[in-house]
Amino acid sequence: MKTWLRTRDKNTLSLFLLALVIFIIMGILSPRQFLGVTNLQGMCVQFPEYGIMAIGMMICMMAGGIDLSLVGIANLAGILATVCMTSISGTAGIAAGLITALATGLVCGMINSFFIGILKIPPMLVTLCGLQLYTGIGLAITKGPALTGLPAEISLITSGTIAGIPIVLIIFIAAAAVMSYVLNQTVYGQELCFYGCNDKASRYSGINNLKVIFKTYMLSGLLGSICGIIMISHYNSAKSDYGNTYTLLTLLIAVLGGTSPDGGKGKVSGVVMAILVLQIVSSSFNILRVNSYIKTFVWGMILIIVMVAGYLIRRRKETA
Amino acid sequence: MKQKVLKTATRNEAIVTYIILALCVLIGLKNSAFLDVSTGISLARAMLVTLIFALCEMVTIISGGIDVSFPAVASLALYATSTLAVALDINNVFLLFLAAGAIGLICGIINGLLIVKCKIPPLIATLGMSSVLNGGTLAFIGTRELSSLPSGMNELSRAFLFTYVNEQGISYSMTIFILVPIILCILVFFILRYTVLGRGIYAVGGDENAARIAGFNVSRIKYCVYGFSGLFAGIGGLIYVILMRQANPQVLMGDEMMVIAAVVIGGTKITGGYGTVIGTVLGVGLIALVENNLIMLGVPSHFQTFMVGLIIVLGTSITALREKYGSKAVRRQKKS
Repeated sequence: MKTWLRTRDKNTLSLFLLALVIFIIMGILSPRQFLGVTNLQGMCVQFPEYGIMAIGMMICMMAGGIDLSLVGIANLAGILATVCMTSISGTAGIAAGLITALATGLVCGMINSFFIGILKIPPMLVTLCGLQLYTGIGLAITKGPALTGLPAEISLITSGTIAGIPIVLIIFIAAAAVMSYVLNQTVYGQELCFYGCNDKASRYSGINNLKVIFKTYMLSGLLGSICGIIMISHYNSAKSDYGNTYTLLTLLIAVLGGTSPDGGKGKVSGVVMAILVLQIVSSSFNILRVNSYIKTFVWGMILIIVMVAGYLIRRRKETA
Repeated sequence: MKQKVLKTATRNEAIVTYIILALCVLIGLKNSAFLDVSTGISLARAMLVTLIFALCEMVTIISGGIDVSFPAVASLALYATSTLAVALDINNVFLLFLAAGAIGLICGIINGLLIVKCKIPPLIATLGMSSVLNGGTLAFIGTRELSSLPSGMNELSRAFLFTYVNEQGISYSMTIFILVPIILCILVFFILRYTVLGRGIYAVGGDENAARIAGFNVSRIKYCVYGFSGLFAGIGGLIYVILMRQANPQVLMGDEMMVIAAVVIGGTKITGGYGTVIGTVLGVGLIALVENNLIMLGVPSHFQTFMVGLIIVLGTSITALREKYGSKAVRRQKKS
């Protein structure tokens, strides 16, 4: 048991403890509301939306980059899927919509990686422009208002359950498991870490950096488009500016989860823990009826405090 | 001589100028109402506050950092001072500017502290600050839009440099606040070019370690940069309130993307170490032109976000491509 604890990541462990502490405090403060099935199920339905996005943000940060365009990709994918589903009726329409959404994510990721890998424009700038561009395309398609008229089956993704477990939660767990496998067990995962640590060294050791960039941003685009599908299911409509606070939130989650902004380090388990902490905090605030703007305030504070604490711990280690 | 002319004609600033001129000609051909003094006046008004922010952002980017917290800083400064002014009926605008500047400066110094002392990457530090400041403003000060401002502020919004009356008898007036970005441009130009601090900012952005070894006080330079950025974010925020005659704590949020894009189109290197005031002015001008006058070209308004995005992508790609092939050309020259 002790050795198992020692081999775990310290950051992940402390996040887990933090989540546990808040959970227990809230459980004591308002047991009936907080521990009720509605709240727990509500929590599980809320976080997959930005949680999957945060995993996409994490892999881009592991590559030493960043993906600020995720929200734009998600909305564009959602809009295109809605257009498909409303124009083709029946199951064929739903299938076509889902495929269109995923393809949109891949194409947007490819556009990002073209600018990053081949034109060598810094990722932050590319994805910033990407956000504007994808949101703009979405706005041009919808002409402003939300697109409605989705088939009823789509809302099942967020409202349906299998054996009491919400379907979105299953999607999230599957995405997290697959990404964890990809990062830990595949050659690409290792190459990504090498590239993120030192892109020159990785090139000299025979890694095709361009391929790594393309894979990373396309994967992140794909994750973004999965969020897009969940979002249209959640809102039962598609619009170009849904979830515009998610950019900050996903960045916050990735950093909180121990992803190094300089690249090379990141863990799916850390990110999952960070998501749990934020979701528990956010649900507690809702139950305690705290002003929702305080949530933004507290999220920013958590980000700064975690970064400062990380620095202090690092300094202590260096002097010791 | 010929080479020098060619070099000036293909500089980044020159390319942006060509794009602006081409757009102007295009819009002018399509809609003759564009080629009028009034367009210039409304364009200058649209550029005014953005230009102040862009100059701060440019200095930050030159120093190798980035500041995405300025809309939040400006919102806090403008809303806190306006709330105070309304509550206590303060008519002394100078005092208000002092307060807004002080709030901005403090926020900027906190940014500096996080970046210099705690070594947090600038993007993450300022993103966190942005969240804290904006959340704090909305949660603790208020969310209501203030539209009945003290008379001292309203009077200043009607202070004009000159007024132009067109043939239809509609008058267009140039606000006195246009002087602020003009003075700021000259100030930044002189600081960057002729002072040790300015050269230090370029040096830190180019290579921090080299700058330290060369004897620059890197920490102090960074404090100056973020403090300056915060100070003018606060002042810019208050100017926005006076021009719009209403204080809204959310209206500036989301401006950071556009301002950073304007700075980069103006030729400032996002990785630091290079950037000019003229380039930034042109970059802001181009974006203001696109945002405000695409409608004259007959582009429907829901296409505008896309068009602005496309122009930003093209602008940044041109800058990046020039850099890529420019450095190759230099290497080739050295070889031969």
